Amino acid sequence: MTIHNLYIFSKNGTLLYYTEWSRLNKSGITKEEEAKLMYGMLFSIKSFVSKISPLDPNEGFLYFKTSKYTLHYFETPSGLKFVLNTDNISQNARELLQQLYREVYLEYVVKNPLCQLNEPIQSELFKLKVDELFKKSPLYLSRTI
Amino acid sequence: MRQQVIDTKMNSHTAGEADECLFEYLHTEMVNYTLSKASNKKEKEEELSRLEWMGFSVGYRIIERLTRDCSRFKDELDMIKFICTDFWSSLYHKQIDNLRTNHHGVYMLQDNSFRLLNKVGTNCNKQYLQESPRLLAFTCGLLRGSLANLGIISTVNAEISTLPSCKFHVQVQQM
Repeated sequence: MTIHNLYIFSKNGTLLYYTEWSRLNKSGITKEEEAKLMYGMLFSIKSFVSKISPLDPNEGFLYFKTSKYTLHYFETPSGLKFVLNTDNISQNARELLQQLYREVYLEYVVKNPLCQLNEPIQSELFKLKVDELFKKSPLYLSRTI
Repeated sequence: MRQQVIDTKMNSHTAGEADECLFEYLHTEMVNYTLSKASNKKEKEEELSRLEWMGFSVGYRIIERLTRDCSRFKDELDMIKFICTDFWSSLYHKQIDNLRTNHHGVYMLQDNSFRLLNKVGTNCNKQYLQESPRLLAFTCGLLRGSLANLGIISTVNAEISTLPSCKFHVQVQQM
């Protein structure tokens, strides 16, 4: 099982944080362009899902899957968006994203007086904690076995 | 009588998450507010003294309630010990990690994981080291105010070498 990369977007679509662990295919465009492209796609999928759903879409868009990877999407009520790419057999990635939000973002960004919200996250401690959380998660660990 | 019941309830450490972070967020905004009123660098130092003064008033009042059930203190060291244990744990949920003194009115209180700093950085990097002193001004005042109400006139400075640990130097003014 593999975790590829992670995006965090603010509610207005600013890329707050990006990191990657194992990404074999580079997009060939700058990180900023890629983030815009990604956000645009997510935005479209969200409105697509809410319009096309035959039933009341409770949570809306949760994930999509290609032949090679799965994109997991988690949005908070405040509009913060967490996007994680994993391989297809990884499970519970959504819980991992919720945990990231609860235990890392809230603690080390919101509670850090020196961090500006809605701006790219600079805090080294935050980066450290994100890495720690993902490396100790079973999704990441089982890759080496 | 009724007031007392409410008071002890709020004092318990098992209280919910919300009231805990309320202080942290309010503190953040106090720091931002005082800094936003300063335009140049020289003024900034003066602005921190305003924050320190707020801490002083809070500390002065808070000690009244915290010592409600205590007997009188023997001497100065006894008071400082009270600050390191009961006072600190009721405000920051932990005790001071290290207390040193030269027995001539100089005390050094060290907290290895100060609550207002431990979300900011770790010892692995030097980020935010410049900005962190502003997060300590209020607590310096808090210490000075509570000691003042116990009858000790002092000056309190803070020092950070690696986050999230910090040292408070208390210098007692001899009468």
